Amino acid sequence: MISTTVIIIGGGATGSGVLRDLSMRGIPAIMLEQGGLAYGTSSRFHGLLHSGARYAVNDNESAKECIEENMILRKIGKHCVELTEGFFVQTPEDDKEFAPKWLEGCKTAGIKTEEISLEEAFKLEPNLSRDISKVYRVPDSCIDGFRLVWQNAMSARRYGGELYTYHKVVEIITESGKVKGVKALNKVTNEIVEFGCDYIVNASGSWAGEMVALSGLAPLPISPDRGTLVVFNHRFTSRVINRLHKSSDGDIFVPHGSVTILGTTSAEADTPDDKTPTSQEVKRLLDIGRVVFPHVDDYRILRAFAGTRPLYGAKGAGRSASRNFNIVNHSEEGLAGFVSIFGGKLTTYRLMAEKVSDVVANMAGVTAKCRTAEEPIIPDVSEHTLSKAKKYFPKGAVNIVADRIGADFDKVLDNIEKSNEKNELVCECEMVTLSEIKYVAQDDASYYLNDIRLRTRLGMGTCQGTFCSLRAIAALENENIEMKLKPSDNIKNFLQERWNGLRPALWGGQLREAELTRAIYLSTLNFDGEGYEA
Amino acid sequence: MSSEHINPDKCIACTICQVHCPVAKVTPNFLGPRLIGPAYERFRLLDVTEEESLHYCANCKNCDIACPQGVAISTLNMVARCEYTEKNGGKLRDWVLSHGGFLADLFKYIPTWLKNFGMHNPVTRLLLDAIGISKKAPIPKFDKHFRLIYKKLKQPKLDKKIVYFPGCYVDDYDYSIGLDMIWIFNQAGYEVIVPKQFVCCGLPLVSNGFMKDAAKNAAKNVSVIKEYQEKGIPVVTGCPSCALMFKKDVPEMFPDVVYDSYKGGVMDAQEFLMGCVERGELNFAGKNSTKSIIYHSPCHLRAQGIGLPSIDLIEKLTGSKIQNAQAGCCGISGSYGFKKEKYQIGLDVGKELFDTIKNSNCEIVTTECGTCQTQIKHGTGQKAYHPVTVIRKLVENK
Repeated sequence: MISTTVIIIGGGATGSGVLRDLSMRGIPAIMLEQGGLAYGTSSRFHGLLHSGARYAVNDNESAKECIEENMILRKIGKHCVELTEGFFVQTPEDDKEFAPKWLEGCKTAGIKTEEISLEEAFKLEPNLSRDISKVYRVPDSCIDGFRLVWQNAMSARRYGGELYTYHKVVEIITESGKVKGVKALNKVTNEIVEFGCDYIVNASGSWAGEMVALSGLAPLPISPDRGTLVVFNHRFTSRVINRLHKSSDGDIFVPHGSVTILGTTSAEADTPDDKTPTSQEVKRLLDIGRVVFPHVDDYRILRAFAGTRPLYGAKGAGRSASRNFNIVNHSEEGLAGFVSIFGGKLTTYRLMAEKVSDVVANMAGVTAKCRTAEEPIIPDVSEHTLSKAKKYFPKGAVNIVADRIGADFDKVLDNIEKSNEKNELVCECEMVTLSEIKYVAQDDASYYLNDIRLRTRLGMGTCQGTFCSLRAIAALENENIEMKLKPSDNIKNFLQERWNGLRPALWGGQLREAELTRAIYLSTLNFDGEGYEA
Repeated sequence: MSSEHINPDKCIACTICQVHCPVAKVTPNFLGPRLIGPAYERFRLLDVTEEESLHYCANCKNCDIACPQGVAISTLNMVARCEYTEKNGGKLRDWVLSHGGFLADLFKYIPTWLKNFGMHNPVTRLLLDAIGISKKAPIPKFDKHFRLIYKKLKQPKLDKKIVYFPGCYVDDYDYSIGLDMIWIFNQAGYEVIVPKQFVCCGLPLVSNGFMKDAAKNAAKNVSVIKEYQEKGIPVVTGCPSCALMFKKDVPEMFPDVVYDSYKGGVMDAQEFLMGCVERGELNFAGKNSTKSIIYHSPCHLRAQGIGLPSIDLIEKLTGSKIQNAQAGCCGISGSYGFKKEKYQIGLDVGKELFDTIKNSNCEIVTTECGTCQTQIKHGTGQKAYHPVTVIRKLVENK
């Protein structure tokens, strides 16, 4: 049995935030995640670091939380946050009466707004519709959810926190009204692993209700609400573009690194696993998006994805449900040491982690205060390292790599220098080099090519894995770096995951792309024909 | 200027362009068209540091020819290079090399010998070498200014008219091609008009990063083209690069300049002449030359997608059989091969062509492009002639 003080269920933004927070307070903690890091809702992010302006009218409390956390994350999460700013634009379809209410709400919440001339707006964002009649600037930003989770987990590790990915909690062990530990299924080996602990933080998002039920308590009223998003191949806006109206579907465009993401929808889901978007949803998003970007049909859709928001409250509340988060200390229901946290949003993940860690620290009698609002998630990469890296990385990639792997950059550079090899680009679409792939592959939390993808963006660009998956596997084989699947299965698994996102928007340029992938893997490499070969 | 970014979405990353890039084949300094073009473009929109490699694209357009998806790869690169130059300032060397048309016009009344002495004496060549123009580069020598000669030229009065865009090479370095062009059009029954308002097509400006200057030239030239098109007079050029600039780059880079009926703007003269042959306007009865001729098709001709009209034209008009070299790019790419850091790349790219020409043992080498002619001479020692010049030579038995 593996013993610790706190078990955190769920390796998303909240879970890894809690792991980091507790570890920084010196409280031993282990995080268990049923898939890879950010497997659930945290990997289904829109990438918007809310200024809160979106909630200014309907949910002013959330708006306040957002702007406060937005300002904190800009400081502590420099490597995950891109300071883009955002626009709220009024299209002919938007109610003109909304703007004054919205301005009032932003003022109340403390969100800075500034009206800018249409001329300036169109100069800054030339692809915007010329039918837009009003533009306000707000401190929205963009955030990389994968990176945020990884960097929190990495930071937690440095403070002694531990994480087990691909471990699904199947039993919560209690004894005389108190939690004693959990049993988890190692999904790779199919073994049951037992963990002993004094406290459990249930940060499993859309699965939080299920986890509470496992403990034998009455289920929580958490209803998974499905949101679908569309990823475009290039960045046709440099700012977050919101519609100036009552929050609705498909009204936010977010530039995210090399791509643009449009979302979202909101619809009741049956299970937290309901992650398959439909073509109807994609088409509907495009119909709505066309009002803001009239040439949206000329931009190639890379893929679509869906995730479930863990909304608290009555089923079907959808957009009217609060985006506030909730903490339930189950001691009050007779199970001591068990705390659930759910609801909320990516923007407020740190605050959520702080509040729930306060509850745990209080129970454990630890007085150390939360420091996550001051201490950067990862230390800055030194100028020396950056300039040294220019020798081995494409010029434009140096800062991108620094943001991706942060403090580990020095080790990656050391490895390159030692091995004395050419640091070739493995993934050209997202500029991921051999050294990064090798380094990340050797991390304990990297089981599959998909785990490497989340940390490096391997296979997330134009070709969606067509060239880089084979190259990456070949490179790892060359170096005798073993993963949990044999190479051909690892590629299949990877391409299948990519395919899931391609399918709902398979037309135009991306259909051509998919045909190329099929030709390479199914024809030339005969990936689906293994069974027929003697 | 139109620094409007071109949508890179059509690229499916098939990398066919990488395979067909003559520069990437010979130097690691160029990462290849797909990477520097559509792939890197996605990061340019993120405002990342520009790759040094961008400056190694020769703008030969073999990537555009190879691309099965119709991505404007070379234009993506050139727009990026121009943006870089605007932000960081251009090199003096690149300014000089790209403003040849402008400079030559400025100095057109200076005697040719004096210009050549000024340009080609060892001291100047060392100075030029110091600013980055290789002292080994085969910079063409000045010739009499074509349009000064044209002004004094007496042509027969003919009903049909045609407008000829000479291009800088004919204007400044080899007026005889222009005279041969007038000769052949007269033979076909066309009186040739060479408007004095024409300026450099702008391709060297684009290739060297001076988009604003290129835009000005495009506007000037297109207004002249429009004037004649409206009168129903076709506009042709014997230079493949000028033709490509008008057909493809001007509409792509400066969409505001072109008008509805612009279409291709300027037609390849050899293609037009083939039309004359087909219509029965042009023939030299009984010509049956036995000279052995090898033909090199310039990249910018192949990029127009009009086939290789010069081969048909020479064969039909002179009875010769042409050997098509089919040996890729000559490596010069306008002013690219003159640059110190690219001089050797240019020779390496052209090696296959030079070897093919040498091994062919042909008596005559022909190609439309002036700088291809220069590079072939430099790489093989054999002078190359414009196809129309070859036709005249064979027809007049010179």
